[in-house]
Amino acid sequence: MDEYQTEEETAFIVEDVSKIIKESVEAAIGGSTYQHSRVNQWTTSVVEQCLSQLSKLGKPFKYIVTCIIMQKNGAGLQTASACFWDNSTDGKMNHYIIENTVLNYHTLGKLQARIHR
Amino acid sequence: MSDQLKDKHQRRERRTVKVPSDGSHGVRVKEATIRKNTDSVSIVSSMDELGHHDENTRMVVTMENTYQTAPHKRFPVPAVTHILKDVLSSYLQQEKYEVEWSQKMTKTICEVIRARVKDLMIPRYKIVVLVHIGQQAGQSMQMSSRCLWDATTDSFACYSFTNSSLFGVATVYGVYFE
Repeated sequence: MDEYQTEEETAFIVEDVSKIIKESVEAAIGGSTYQHSRVNQWTTSVVEQCLSQLSKLGKPFKYIVTCIIMQKNGAGLQTASACFWDNSTDGKMNHYIIENTVLNYHTLGKLQARIHR
Repeated sequence: MSDQLKDKHQRRERRTVKVPSDGSHGVRVKEATIRKNTDSVSIVSSMDELGHHDENTRMVVTMENTYQTAPHKRFPVPAVTHILKDVLSSYLQQEKYEVEWSQKMTKTICEVIRARVKDLMIPRYKIVVLVHIGQQAGQSMQMSSRCLWDATTDSFACYSFTNSSLFGVATVYGVYFE
């Protein structure tokens, strides 16, 4: 029995995902300035929105979404990632937004979940 | 501020070969034209011509069904946390934040962590390692992460390290793959 998944199901549409991320960030934060008391709520809502939109895509993937919100203070930040996965089916994308006082950086990883028919 | 991300390494242990008798038509035709004399089922080379996937000329092998529904050995969170603590402390203990040094350091730490987690030999798990090193400048920041996965099999470990001039955070996600 074939276990093939068609190209459409397993393709990672970069534009769609990037749009989802942008929309979630804008909806949650908009143009606000950094407020320490609210930042926890912001990160949670950004990540939750992202994840719910991604799950609505209905693709057979597991997702990992990370969000960093940092106050713009002139401080430096370095990020790196290393992954042990299957390059043909898995992937990741990053996205960052810098506004007046807030830096918002997202990483989204998707890993294939095999669906047995 | 700058950030670099690296994506590495294919899993070479998983290969699939398309066997002509399985009825993938493209392969069949190819077999017929090239090897007219062989009756036996044989391995097809180069998936490229089917228009599938990559620039790699990897051979594709279908594995037999092992009937294993759950992982025999789960992602060992305490062991991985210990690795993270070890690596971050040893690399960052007495260091000061400098832009170029920290660029190299994040990549190095990432690779070291990945190598050590791989050495734990946890079968059927895919690993994602994220490392952030930042300058301590009195700024405020918040990191959060959420995952859509199978909570019974998948997990993560994280550790953060700070000293007077920098902070480092490492996160490892382990995702089960059948």
